[in-house]
Formats: sequence, C-alpha cells, structure tokens
Amino acid sequence: MSQAASGDDRLTLELKHLLTSVEASGVALLPASNLELLQTVVEAAAQIFGAAAASICLLDDADQSLEFKVAFGAGRDEVLGMRIPLDRGIAGYVASTGQPIAISNVSQDVRFNQEFAQSTGYVPASILATPLMINDRVIGVMEVLDKIDAASFGMQDMELLGVFARQAALAIEQAQQMNGLAQVLVNGIDQLLKGDSAEGQTLLSEIADEALDHGQAEYQQAMALAGLLFEIGQAGEAEWRLCLDVLAGLRDYLRSRPRFGR
Amino acid sequence: MTPGDQSEEPQTRALPAWSSQFSPESLREIAALGPIGEIDRQWAWGGSRGEGVRVAVIDSGIEHDHPAIEGCVHGGTVVEVEEQASGKVRYVDDDPPTDIFGHGTACAAIIHAIAPAAELYSVRVIGRDLTGKALQFAGGIRWAIDQGMSIANMSLSTSRSEYYGLFHELADEAYFRNVMLVSAVNNIPAPSYPSLYSSVVSVAAHNGHDPFTYYYNPSPPVEFGAPGIDVEVAWLNKSTSVSTGNSFAAPHIAGIIALIRAKHPELTPFQVKTVLLACAANTRPSAGSPAT
Repeated sequence: MSQAASGDDRLTLELKHLLTSVEASGVALLPASNLELLQTVVEAAAQIFGAAAASICLLDDADQSLEFKVAFGAGRDEVLGMRIPLDRGIAGYVASTGQPIAISNVSQDVRFNQEFAQSTGYVPASILATPLMINDRVIGVMEVLDKIDAASFGMQDMELLGVFARQAALAIEQAQQMNGLAQVLVNGIDQLLKGDSAEGQTLLSEIADEALDHGQAEYQQAMALAGLLFEIGQAGEAEWRLCLDVLAGLRDYLRSRPRFGR
Repeated sequence: MTPGDQSEEPQTRALPAWSSQFSPESLREIAALGPIGEIDRQWAWGGSRGEGVRVAVIDSGIEHDHPAIEGCVHGGTVVEVEEQASGKVRYVDDDPPTDIFGHGTACAAIIHAIAPAAELYSVRVIGRDLTGKALQFAGGIRWAIDQGMSIANMSLSTSRSEYYGLFHELADEAYFRNVMLVSAVNNIPAPSYPSLYSSVVSVAAHNGHDPFTYYYNPSPPVEFGAPGIDVEVAWLNKSTSVSTGNSFAAPHIAGIIALIRAKHPELTPFQVKTVLLACAANTRPSAGSPAT
C-alpha cells in the first residue's frame, strides 16, 4: 500500500475531495433533521409548561454569541436567526454561568428582555431559562416565556425544563458526532494511504462499521468506494495506476458531458 | 436589628436541586449541645448592622447606583482572562462598579437589606466570553483573599472536575486567611465547586420568605437553607424582579454572617459556622444545656 500511495498524493487529494463533499452534504443535511427535532422539543415544552413561547439558542464558539435556532409561539419569526452577545440578557446570564434561572415581574427594565423586545416588540412577563449542556460544557440555552396560567415559573418547571434541555442537548450532541464522523473518515483515508496497510484495513472497517451504524447513505457510498480502492491498491502498482487512470478518465468524461438544464 | 421570626414553616412545593433536605418532611431538628445551646440570635447579631465588614460579591457586577444598594458599594473590579498574566487573569478597575446582567445587584441588595452598614465590593467574573470563565471565577476568589475581604458571596460554581484542585486550594487558603466563602449550590443536581467543600458555607433555597429564617443541615453536601424562591430582588437599571434559584439563598446567609462578624470580629470561619448552627431555625438547645 505504501508503495502504491508513495507516488500518488493525487489519489489522497481526490479522496479528500470526495469525502469533504460528503462531509459538506452531511453538514447541510444533518442540522435540518436536527433542527426538526429541536423544534419538536420547544413546541412540546411550550405546551407542557403552558407557555406562550419557547426557544433554543446555541452558542457560536467563534464569535461567542448565542443564535436563536428554533422558536415557537409569540415572536417566533422575528427571533429566529437573531444573535445576542453573551454579556446580555437572561440567555447570556444562563450561558455564562451554567445556572438555570426563573424570573418574572421585572419593572422598568429594557435589557431584561432585550433579545426579544428590540426586534419583536414582544415583552414577556416571566421567563424560565436553563442551559443546554454536553458533559460540563454549555452549548446553548433553552427558554420558555410567559407561563399562561401563573405569574411565574416555579421550581417544578425548572426541573422539568432541565429534562427537556437534556433531550435537546443529546440531539445536538448526536449531530455533532455525525459531523465529526466525516472528519474521521477523511483522517482515516489519509492514514490508510500513507501508513501501514494492515492497520489501515482495520481502521477502515471500524470506520465503515460506524458509518453503517449511523445509517447514512452518503457515508456508506463513500465507504464502499474507499474499500474498493483499497482492495485494488493491494493488488500492486500497475493495477493501482490502472484504477486511477480509469477513474480519472471517467471523471474527465463526466466533466465534458453536456448537462441538460444547466 | 431584631432577630427574625423563627416560626415560619417551609411550604410543600417543588424545590430546587439540593433543597429537599429543607422541606418540612425531611427537616431535622438539630440539638445544640452544652455552651453552644447558649448562643442565641441576640448574642450572635442583635444590634449589629454589619459595620465595617467588607463583603465581595463575586458575580455579574453590582449596579452601584441602584436604590436598593443605597450607595454601599465601596469598590469594584472586573476579572478578565489574560493568558500571559499570573493566574491567567488580569484585574481591571470597575469604577464606579456596573452590572451586566442584574444578578450581582440582586445578591448585593439582599446582603445590604440584612446588613445595611456592610461595605460591598463588586467582583465581576462573567460576561462576553465563556473561554476561561472558571479561571475568571478563581481570579475573583483570589482577589477577595488578597484584598482582605471578610466575606465573599459566590452565586457561581463550576462543575468541571479539572478545576477541583484549584478551587479546593483557594477555598482552603480563604479559610485560613479568615475569609468566609459563602457558596450557592448549582440549581442542577450535579457536583459543583467550591460549594461542595467543607471549608465553605454552602447554601440552597427553601420556600420561606423571612430573610432571617434559615436552616442547618448536618448531612452533606448543603449545610444551610435560606430563602431563594420567588424572592423580590433588585435588578438592572434600578428595577426589581421576582426571581428563583439557589443563588438568591446564598446572600441571605452572607448578610447574616456580616452581622455576626461585625459584632464578633474575633470569630474564625469555623466558629462563625458554629454560631450559624446554633441560631438556625431548626436548632434547639439540647436537654441539659444551660439555656434549657
């Protein structure tokens, strides 16, 4: 394998390109299903708590802000996609401290409801907010707003919202693992082409198993292709070269082919 | 200062994490043995207003001109992450002190309502960036120790085990340097540091509203229960709010400690804890104590 791979970084690059594409499509696809699940969580939370609205915002590590990813009820359309800095509002406090908080009856306070009031005109009278945690790391905040049949959210609500928050965090964690898997694939193929073949084979089958477990068609296709290339590479230098030529020819043909509708 | 009403009973309601030991069904009566049974609230803090006691509020800052604080904030610092600095934090003067969330102001106002002559210091350790927040928090405790604070109120905690040692060391140093750390336990039932250490005074919320009604719990992890549910508190921009959480219970105990330390400055942290035990609403002098 090392013999075959030594002269051909191009294959590595091609595979990386392929798998990066898979990864990219995975990133695009996964959050969609993930967001649906989160949407279900906030809707269920709003209904169970008897709240006028509910939302989840997630921490963006890059710019240390919170972005509202899903929302339900009053102010929904306005709040979606909104970003708030970590040093503002109830959500900022909860993300900064990892502490849930219930607050109501705020007098004369604009900043209290800043994340909503500024763009939505919706000013809740009561808020219950709890952190979304993966292990001991805060990844976001879940809020329920305006308890309909009471002046404030109670401790029971705080505990129950914690249960919802764990479900939401779990969904997010799984999505992150899926995204991470694509990276593992890229790294795995890299090692496979550069390193010891037996170790590479083991790694490949492990990765394949994991991909199958996750049931992603794109990953399975990528793994089938990678497995095929690996097997051909094992046959020898000439066979490997032939395989590359065939694939390159196929690619060139596909590129030159007229595409209707474009 | 009139000793508070000890007759208030907690109501049956869902409680924050760690609060169940202060519910009526599980609250234990504590016997104060021997001379400890002689200590009462009148002796402990009767007539005290917390004069001269310096209390650091390690939180989101304090709004210095909030009417509920009545000008009792004597200084402030903002603890920021600085990779090259000692302890990886730097201290920026916060003059006059400000609050970014309202939470620190709420805690400060609770302390001030109980100990109106205590000097409050704003130590802001949160905001803007989550990176290194445990180090900022640790830096806040370090500041309180180095500045010779008598009490540090901490409504924050960390659950990250890699900081167990750092906070343990700080809590021990504070204890031996006569700084009392009053720590709210997390509202989430998970380990939180430094609230779990025996050298700090750990506090959870009970349902009552009388600021002087607090309970002692002899079984770890939480030693004291104080009001923290639907408490009317000061909030940002000179406002008030009704808030719930263990973090509003801790400043009640911090305020009472300020009263005790003003009246009995010679008491060390473990002696103050004993006085707190003796004066808890669920403590009774044991049979045979001089007070019985």
